[in-house]
Amino acid sequence: MESSVFATPGVGSATAVDEDSAMSMKGHYAPPWADVSIIGIAGSSGSGKSTISQAIVKKLNLPWVVILSMDSFYKSLDAEASRRAFRSEYDFDAPEAIDFDALVECLRDLKAGKRAEIPVYSFEKHARLERTTTIYSPHVLIVEGIFALHDPRVLDLMDMKIFCEADPDTCLSRRILRDVRERGRDIEGIIKQWFAFVKPNLKKFVDPQREVADLLIPRGIQNQVAMATVVQVIKQKLLEKSEDHTAALKRLEMGLQSEPMSEKVLVLDPTAQLRGMNTIIHDVETNSEDFIFYFDRIATLLVEQALNNIPFTSATITTPQGYTYNGLTRQGEVSAVIALRGGAALETGLKRVLHDCKAGRVLIQNNEKTNEPELHYLVLPKDIDKHEAVLLLDAQMSSGGSALMAVQVLLDHGVKMDRIVLATYSAGRLGLQRLTKAFPDITVVVGSVVQDAEERWVEKRYFRC
Amino acid sequence: MSAHPEKPKPAPVQCVGPEYRSESQKPTATVSTDVEFETVTVLPQTPQLIALLSKIRDRDTERGDFIFYSNRIIRLLVEEGLNHLPTVEHTVTTPVGRPYDGLAFEGKICGVSIMRAGEAMEQGLRDCCRSVRIGKILIQRDEETAQPKLFYDKLPTDIAQRWVMLLDPMFATGGSAIMAVEVLISRGVPEEHILFINLIASPEGIKNFATKFPKLRVVTAFIDQGLDEKNYIIPGLGDFGDRYYTM
Repeated sequence: MESSVFATPGVGSATAVDEDSAMSMKGHYAPPWADVSIIGIAGSSGSGKSTISQAIVKKLNLPWVVILSMDSFYKSLDAEASRRAFRSEYDFDAPEAIDFDALVECLRDLKAGKRAEIPVYSFEKHARLERTTTIYSPHVLIVEGIFALHDPRVLDLMDMKIFCEADPDTCLSRRILRDVRERGRDIEGIIKQWFAFVKPNLKKFVDPQREVADLLIPRGIQNQVAMATVVQVIKQKLLEKSEDHTAALKRLEMGLQSEPMSEKVLVLDPTAQLRGMNTIIHDVETNSEDFIFYFDRIATLLVEQALNNIPFTSATITTPQGYTYNGLTRQGEVSAVIALRGGAALETGLKRVLHDCKAGRVLIQNNEKTNEPELHYLVLPKDIDKHEAVLLLDAQMSSGGSALMAVQVLLDHGVKMDRIVLATYSAGRLGLQRLTKAFPDITVVVGSVVQDAEERWVEKRYFRC
Repeated sequence: MSAHPEKPKPAPVQCVGPEYRSESQKPTATVSTDVEFETVTVLPQTPQLIALLSKIRDRDTERGDFIFYSNRIIRLLVEEGLNHLPTVEHTVTTPVGRPYDGLAFEGKICGVSIMRAGEAMEQGLRDCCRSVRIGKILIQRDEETAQPKLFYDKLPTDIAQRWVMLLDPMFATGGSAIMAVEVLISRGVPEEHILFINLIASPEGIKNFATKFPKLRVVTAFIDQGLDEKNYIIPGLGDFGDRYYTM
């Protein structure tokens, strides 16, 4: 099957994060993937659904388009049914073979902007495998399968419904080729299956889906006009969504100038050393060795300060002389997530303080045309939802758009809001307010607060490119 | 100097944590004893600092962890110590061509470690001041008189023109530190140009020192309850040099 944008193998079941009640009181942030466009492509076996799906993905040429094959949702067969399947006497081409409940659940999660775990089905074993594939944050999801337009619950979630038409002879020939090459079947079995199940089902279940389709595509990908129309509609949808997201980011700013800064925003004390180091870092004349040296020093202080906000418990220890001391001990695991690429400039500081902490990485970039932050890459420690604290590191935060997105990503992966500590060298005042309005329970540790949005000059100087 | 162990006062206990948390959300711990000398700076008693001190005080902490966690505290001490050095207003141009009103560091510095435990603090000093000159002083207790005696010193020749960061992690009676300061003053270093950087101090040691050298600054992470009859700090952390180097 086609895999996901962000596959994190082995991740447990998706954890729903319901902090919304607290959020709606203050301000709300919805990432651009919160309302994924779902496109259904149905049609007889061999009608060219997957070829069309792949052609659409190729034409869109965006990283956030994911194909979800309904083959992943075949029900696992019991022993009896499995024996029939191996004799080619099991009807895979009837709606009963599909676990629509699981499909609906996945689609609803994705539509809500959450992570979904997609089952992996083995045609060799006629069973679901233990592992699942994770789909997270697609902007467009193409659901393709013989019965993509069959279940009314699925239809309700779809933004566009396509039915592929093809001549039954073509379908049979394609099916023979595919099943022999990809699914290890023999020709006799395939033909037996075709006349016993596939063909009768065509009339009974497949064809009626035409009635609910928005678009009928004859002749598959050779149909250039149909392809262009589909791509055009999707592009328009994405553009509207991007505009909505940017407007929502703007709305979060409104009325913030006059509001006081959240008490959970902690700015490093402007000591003589910090001011002196900041002067060196801001000086255009500073050479790279000095820049990196002083930035690492500040990064270390930032991480030290960030760690004052993680949970501790009282602990009595005994010294070598046998005296006791009532001190503190850290609870549970603390991990970090590096917001690339700026956050990587804080990694030396991180390692000086927590030499072996697990570190996830997330790459969010602003689209130069729309100025919308976009999620490009994500790898998180798999047990991150169980960590006592997660430090989110970035060198700079100006408007806060990427920070909002990074925090949302952590929430979507089960990290509780009050366990997130964002540490950044400098931050724009408005960006900070926007972030703490949308996520009031996170803690932010910042080196210095600046008035205007700044371009990301720190990482340029730190990495020297 | 006080060789008379006093009965330790009860140590102050308080809730430790960030201000935005209510008292009930913060765990309690024993924090540094207060002293009334304005030349003495104690690091802010943050939960992280208390947790680090708990680690290195714990007799079950292994050497690798002891070294790592003490280095973290020492770095914070050096960062705080450097704040007491002079600076001048200094405006620079930023990469985007704007002026930035900042500060420039003034004055040359050097480190002087009291052997051997003080040498364990050199890494932390170097982490903040890359190629700093480091002098060394060896002081040991004279077997016959039981008084500290200077055995060896090697100091930068221009030390009289420098600010000196004097390094010694454990400050019990203050005998060796007082002698080290006397050596520095005899080499022409003004008392007010000496910063004593220390991890754990006793109230007696701090008092002796601040009374004898009223212009010398002390930066410490924690002032403990007192001294026992063997002049070990209570509760202390044992022999720092042994735990860092040989145990």
